[in-house]
Amino acid sequence: MMLENVLIAQHALFVGLAEAWLASGASTFSVWRQDALLAHWPAGTPPQDPSLIVPLYYDDLMLGDLRLSGINSSVAHTRLTSDASLVAHLVRLEDDLQVMTAELVDSQDRLLAVYQLTRSLRNYSTVEETFQSLLFESLRLLKVHSGFVIFAAKDDAVTIEQFPAQSLAEEVIFGVLRRAQDAEREVLISSPADLAGFPQHVENLCFVPIRIRGTISAGIGLINKPGSFAMPDVKLARALVEQSSVHIEQVLLHQETAAQRRLQVDLDLARRVQMRLLPQQVPEIAGLDIYARSKPAFQISGDFYDFIWQPPRSLIFSVGDVSGKALSAALLMTMTRTAIHSKASYMPNPTPELVMRNSHEDLFDDFVQVGMFATVFIGQYQPRTRTLMYANAGHSPVMFCPHGGRARLLTADSPPIGVLNTSLCKNHTLSFGPGDVLVVATDGLNEAISPDDEMFGYERLLDLVSVGAGLSARALADSLFSAVESFGVGRPQDDDQTLIVIKGVAV
Amino acid sequence: MELRSHVSGDIIVLRLAGRFDNYVAPSVADWLEKHTAQESPRIIVNLNGVIFVDSTALATLVQGLNRCHKRQGELHLCGLQQQVYMIFELTRLDKAFHIFVDEEHAIQAMTS
Repeated sequence: MMLENVLIAQHALFVGLAEAWLASGASTFSVWRQDALLAHWPAGTPPQDPSLIVPLYYDDLMLGDLRLSGINSSVAHTRLTSDASLVAHLVRLEDDLQVMTAELVDSQDRLLAVYQLTRSLRNYSTVEETFQSLLFESLRLLKVHSGFVIFAAKDDAVTIEQFPAQSLAEEVIFGVLRRAQDAEREVLISSPADLAGFPQHVENLCFVPIRIRGTISAGIGLINKPGSFAMPDVKLARALVEQSSVHIEQVLLHQETAAQRRLQVDLDLARRVQMRLLPQQVPEIAGLDIYARSKPAFQISGDFYDFIWQPPRSLIFSVGDVSGKALSAALLMTMTRTAIHSKASYMPNPTPELVMRNSHEDLFDDFVQVGMFATVFIGQYQPRTRTLMYANAGHSPVMFCPHGGRARLLTADSPPIGVLNTSLCKNHTLSFGPGDVLVVATDGLNEAISPDDEMFGYERLLDLVSVGAGLSARALADSLFSAVESFGVGRPQDDDQTLIVIKGVAV
Repeated sequence: MELRSHVSGDIIVLRLAGRFDNYVAPSVADWLEKHTAQESPRIIVNLNGVIFVDSTALATLVQGLNRCHKRQGELHLCGLQQQVYMIFELTRLDKAFHIFVDEEHAIQAMTS
């Protein structure tokens, strides 16, 4: 048919060739496919017996020949051979054009299919819906009646959709996905050897893998194409898969963003709850200058401080630090602060030791369960005697600077809550007159790291407290926070920093 | 930070060196989790080469200690340098752990 097509498409050129031969003295010029006459000139005269015949070749295939009558010379033979080459070249061009046209039509079809899929995907906002749509659109467009999609997410959750339901066992589907992952390409199964392990109703199968975020973690399997799956089918399935993988990535991104937003809202709420748990203002007590502040490293904190001031009872205050970071520490911080707060508020004659021991008993099992602990300092100020009683469960740094003296660290007398099953805390008493300073901090201050990987440490804190003991409680706290911040400049704060400064002043 | 371990009878000794802080604590935690999985684990952590511990490191050791106790095992510390021992004293974790001057004494205490 190729020669006929060229005769139709390039009719004017053949007319030109024929007229040139007739003008050169030929009586007829004709084109033949084997023994079938395709065209001849002049129009009304049947071709006479040929005097020259030159075959038309397309590669090694003989398409037909050109015939002349009335001329027989070597010059005419050469010229007719040249004409035959020209016609063969035209046949080649026509053939190329047909292939290109077919591919164009094929692309057009694929584009249309992809467009239809895109339109249908627009309505789906979950990964499961997207996979379902991909499956049903692919079955429709590729004209097969059975198939499946599989998606193995990173969290080991696996989604499998099949039509009809349960056509294949899940292990078989997993096996096909693994083959595609190993080969990093489509899997075509049609030979009896390949079909071993598949149910009998499966005659052929085409599995096209889906790359999600650069990894083959999903794919679509199409089952039983009449005849078998040809390259255009694979290309169409590939185009559908590529389009849907873009949509799936968008859906995943959307879901993650939404989840992040929900988490952010939850964290905001948790932060607000935590902030409400911290005292909104420090108590005003004759003979004391008090300042407290907490700087969480993350949105929520594992540190806390608290004042329980119920005149005429004496002031009780606490500072704590739960091991670990962020959410887990924050939850236990809330629990610990509440346990201490209620003991200090409702015990008939609370002392730091009693509050600590009772809170320890309440909290120990829960802390051991989750493998965490909390360092806690509890202080109690007696205005009448101007004394400060304290108990310390593993908390550090606690610095005491007597009036006119040098700051020193107060060591704990019991490990943190959650380490030993009994609290070893005892009451300790300090005389706390004008000019005496107590600073209870959390380790986020002494463990602040400089850009050179040096730690702020206890000595710097003690020096600052000694030098700044004459300042107001707030000014001393500001100087400590500011020194730690300057020290770690350029590095993000990676632990919560909390500080209570209590200074004795004249009544 | 370096983590090296060796076995001495039924005791596993973990030797640490360098800074023991929140950056390296997860690898020590993994090691401790793995080696406290069986019944009655007997572990000695030699901190002779450790120049610094932070609160996360302490939490990691306490977790290891709790896991050992849960499985009727023991975890001893040894070889603490002065500045590291000071942290244990400040937080009174020296009352939670059995601390020995060196590996030899720790092994002796565990086997006697």
